[in-house]
Amino acid sequence: MMSDLDLVLYTKTGLGDGQQSSNPWLQEFPDPITRVTWDNYLTVSYEDAERLGLENYNVSNGALNGSYVNLSNDNSTIKVPVIIQPGQTPGTVGLSLGYGKTQAMSEEMNVGVNAYRFYDDFKRVHKVTLTKVKGDHEFACIQLHNTMMGRDEIIKETSYEEFIEEDKSVWNPTVMVSKNHIETKVTSKEVDIWREFDRSTGHHFNLSIDLNKCNGCGACVIACHAENNVPVVGKEEVRKSRDMHWIRIDRYYSSQDTIRGDVEAKDEASGFREYRATQTKLEKASANPQVVFQPISCMHCNHAPCETVCPVAATSHGREGQNQMAYNRCVGTRYCANNCPYKVRRFNWFQYSDNDEFDYNMNNDLGKMAINPDVNVRSRGVMEKCSLCIQMTQKVKLDAKKEGRRVRDGEFKTACSESCDDNAMVFGDINDRDSEILKVKDGDRTYRVLESIGTKPNVIYQVKIRNSKKI
Amino acid sequence: MSLKRLHVLFDDDDILLDAVKEIVKSKIYIHEVYTPFPVHGLDKAMKLKPTKISITTFIYGCIGFTVSILMMNYIMIVDWPQDIGGKPSFSYIENMPAFVPIMFELTVFFAAHLMVITFYLRSKLWPFKEAENPDPSTTDDKFLIDMDSGSNLSKTKSMLKKMGAISIKEVKE
Amino acid sequence: MSSHYEAPVRKPLVLGDKSYGDISNDIARPVETPPNTDWWIAFSIAMVAFLWGLGCMAYTIGTGIGTWGLNKTVGWAWDITNFVWWVGIGHAGTLISAVLLLFRQKWRMGINRSAEAMTIFSVIQAGLFPIIHMGRPWLAYWLFPIPNQFGSLWVNFNSPLLWDVFAISTYLTVSLVFWWTGLLPDFAMIRDRAVEPWRKKIYSLLSFGWSGRAKDWQRFEEVSLVLAGLATPLVLSVHTIVSFDFATSVIPGWHTTIFPPYFVAGAIFSGFAMVQTLLIIMRKVSRLESYITIQHIEMMNIVIMITGSIVGCAYITELFIAWYSGVEYEQYAFLNRATGPYWWAYFLMMSCNVVSPQIMWVKKIRTNIIVSFVISIVVNVGMWFERFVIIVTSLHRDYLPSSWTMFSPTFIDIGIFIGTIGFFFVLFLLYARSFPVVAQAEIKSILKSSGENYKKLRDK
Repeated sequence: MMSDLDLVLYTKTGLGDGQQSSNPWLQEFPDPITRVTWDNYLTVSYEDAERLGLENYNVSNGALNGSYVNLSNDNSTIKVPVIIQPGQTPGTVGLSLGYGKTQAMSEEMNVGVNAYRFYDDFKRVHKVTLTKVKGDHEFACIQLHNTMMGRDEIIKETSYEEFIEEDKSVWNPTVMVSKNHIETKVTSKEVDIWREFDRSTGHHFNLSIDLNKCNGCGACVIACHAENNVPVVGKEEVRKSRDMHWIRIDRYYSSQDTIRGDVEAKDEASGFREYRATQTKLEKASANPQVVFQPISCMHCNHAPCETVCPVAATSHGREGQNQMAYNRCVGTRYCANNCPYKVRRFNWFQYSDNDEFDYNMNNDLGKMAINPDVNVRSRGVMEKCSLCIQMTQKVKLDAKKEGRRVRDGEFKTACSESCDDNAMVFGDINDRDSEILKVKDGDRTYRVLESIGTKPNVIYQVKIRNSKKI
Repeated sequence: MSLKRLHVLFDDDDILLDAVKEIVKSKIYIHEVYTPFPVHGLDKAMKLKPTKISITTFIYGCIGFTVSILMMNYIMIVDWPQDIGGKPSFSYIENMPAFVPIMFELTVFFAAHLMVITFYLRSKLWPFKEAENPDPSTTDDKFLIDMDSGSNLSKTKSMLKKMGAISIKEVKE
Repeated sequence: MSSHYEAPVRKPLVLGDKSYGDISNDIARPVETPPNTDWWIAFSIAMVAFLWGLGCMAYTIGTGIGTWGLNKTVGWAWDITNFVWWVGIGHAGTLISAVLLLFRQKWRMGINRSAEAMTIFSVIQAGLFPIIHMGRPWLAYWLFPIPNQFGSLWVNFNSPLLWDVFAISTYLTVSLVFWWTGLLPDFAMIRDRAVEPWRKKIYSLLSFGWSGRAKDWQRFEEVSLVLAGLATPLVLSVHTIVSFDFATSVIPGWHTTIFPPYFVAGAIFSGFAMVQTLLIIMRKVSRLESYITIQHIEMMNIVIMITGSIVGCAYITELFIAWYSGVEYEQYAFLNRATGPYWWAYFLMMSCNVVSPQIMWVKKIRTNIIVSFVISIVVNVGMWFERFVIIVTSLHRDYLPSSWTMFSPTFIDIGIFIGTIGFFFVLFLLYARSFPVVAQAEIKSILKSSGENYKKLRDK
């Protein structure tokens, strides 16, 4: 038992105070920090968890389970599951408001615990006591692994000092690959083994995601769900790692003090024993980690590994740079999803609409009013993924055609880019010489994730600059 | 001096082979020899022409190879070329490495199946075909020569007996 | 008698004092006599397993792939493991029929018929998986380039899965005709000694009217040789193409050029082990020890030992190249295999495949029936785990750690696999009592050279 802990009540980005907790999209929205869905939980620091004997562990299919505690103050006691949170100050615990509503909620939507009972005097911080209780809670966490393992091709970041003082080749060097033992730029024609398609006529779409501006709020995730009729699959399926989010916001903790520290530790390991020890150490998040977010959706690779392997040509590349997914052609072999290095493809494992097993917004007439009529609802056995909101793009083009004019810069949008408050996402036509996206793409901070594989993505990222002297 | 048709049974393959050689030397016409297993040297002794089936197989293989190229060229390059993973669907030769496995498989497929069909048709083998071996023991352990008697029936018979025939039957044509 | 000479040092391939007629009787006996209780027990168990698997497959097709243990990161697990396992097993039959024919290895004759039957039945099992693993299997015909009203909308010849369609179709059909053509004279043998009219009718139909004319035999020999010559590159190419399902991807642990020879060697390895498993039992039950001798068992063990060593070499090469390449994702893939959450599967794979066949260097061990049988099972278990390790450990942790997951099979995954084992044994048990399981016409042709009685006479 531990007493005299500070309970900090907070609201989650997705659910807020809980007025819309009957909205399945918001329940299935992963918490930006813990990546847990369909639940609230007590966030506990490493130190306190160890003292109380609390555990988070993964079962054989990867699903996350956690211990229960009795959280009590003078007036109430509730049983609440625990998430061991890297970065939580020892002596404090956190609990989100907005969950635990039971009235006028269907059975599936009855999740979480009601934290309002602790919201005495409208104060957010209270003294509480924790006692471990028997039993384990089943969480639906969509991210099993929390660190970047020291890999430096995924998120590029630099410090403000380095950005100002050093050349681009220091903090954003062009990726090199070895061709005939000579280091060659991955963008050079030498590295290609075949002739490229000419995309200089017509539109060529790119989406830029600025890691500096992104604060992980997740509005893009919900906007994408709404625009593209992405099904809600429920807690059980999310536990089995079958969430359907077309865009997700990965969150990585550092294992050392900083993310760059992880990369350095990995690079410096020499010999098998050290390598193994370092990799094992890198799996665990630090008790006080540095954190980074990265929204990831389909990269619309010009050399898409997914397109080549579809036996029925259900996914091919459009003239305008998007990877196209023909739902009605897909027979569901899932090779495309296996071959995607970014793992952005989502498969319809069951019939998620018009199915009583998945009684969310696609199983009744009222809920179906939220469906976007411009986009198919996919059937069982079909692969789906981000389409760069091709229906929105088509509408923009058709409107411009009807009005007899060119498309203006800023008209092309995707649901995610439109919803981003911070303008972290810029979408547009890089063949348009006046477009914002072209300026962004040609900027120094542009890089592509896993560029050395040679996928040539059309979704680009901007190097994150940490507002500190050193990182 | 009437030509009769004889069915001569043997129970050993080496004896059969020597007998066939002797019969051919005597310029007596052998219609057919039925054996339970392939006897080496029998076709040469009977002066059978070598089979041309392997040549037809080679031709079938070439047909398969051509069909595969024409098919994939039409489908992937001419009729509906797509940008699939950036692969160059501009010309067959540029995208050809991807087509090699199927070019190979169709070559083998055509060669093998057309050859077997040719074999079955030429040897008259198909479901519901009646067997034509005169004595059912020729699929067990006996060997049968279906031959003319030659001008001198008794001379032929005695030669055959000397060579080791275990039974000689005169049959209607 | 000079054309039947065989060096005394070669062990006899037909034991006992057999005549041509004895061979016919011995091979026809299991077909002409009703099966014993053991057969019925085995058949019932196999049938129950098959029906259970059929139920699981129907449930999958009716409800969805979600009934399996797969997820967004691990899109293939037991389905493709089983597919590759069954296809690999099939390759031994073709190798025995085709490659050993080209190399004039007479010892193939006692075993090639049953080995080829094993090939057909295992490729049937393999062929089930590409169909049932699809999200929409009722559209499986879309994988064939058939003109249609959608434009015509064609297939994608760049895809290794499509290469598989052509390769497996070619392999199944060519193996089938190779096997059936060889069976014609043997069916004719059963037809001509059939007493019951129903037996005569059935085997007349099955034998296509084979009459054993000299010209037919001439063509038969030529066709067998040419089919052998065509089937040999098939053995190599089909499993190479199956390996391309992985080798042509970008996933670390999959994207490697060693897979074609690695897979082919592994296929022969597991296939011979399965032939051993089947024939060690069948020779006893159908009383065919004179035709499937200890010599045959030993030769197959030697092949198992050699191919097992090749596979072991390949494992070590993979580890070496992971280190030597300096590619961090490849290095992690192998660290994960050996020390990650599935280390136990890797350990099983290594011990069953690399360590166990090495004991066959000892002659006493490789001529021991019980040990041979145990090793054959161990090898097939190891080879199943090899495919599982390749598929699941490479998928579950690839480039982006945020998408790392685990995989755990559901009882449907397991049920379908057991169902295919049941189906395989149902087919094989039926085959063993209705088909001539030894190529008796071929055996008769080597009786004088390799029969024990004839060799004794010559070597006096």
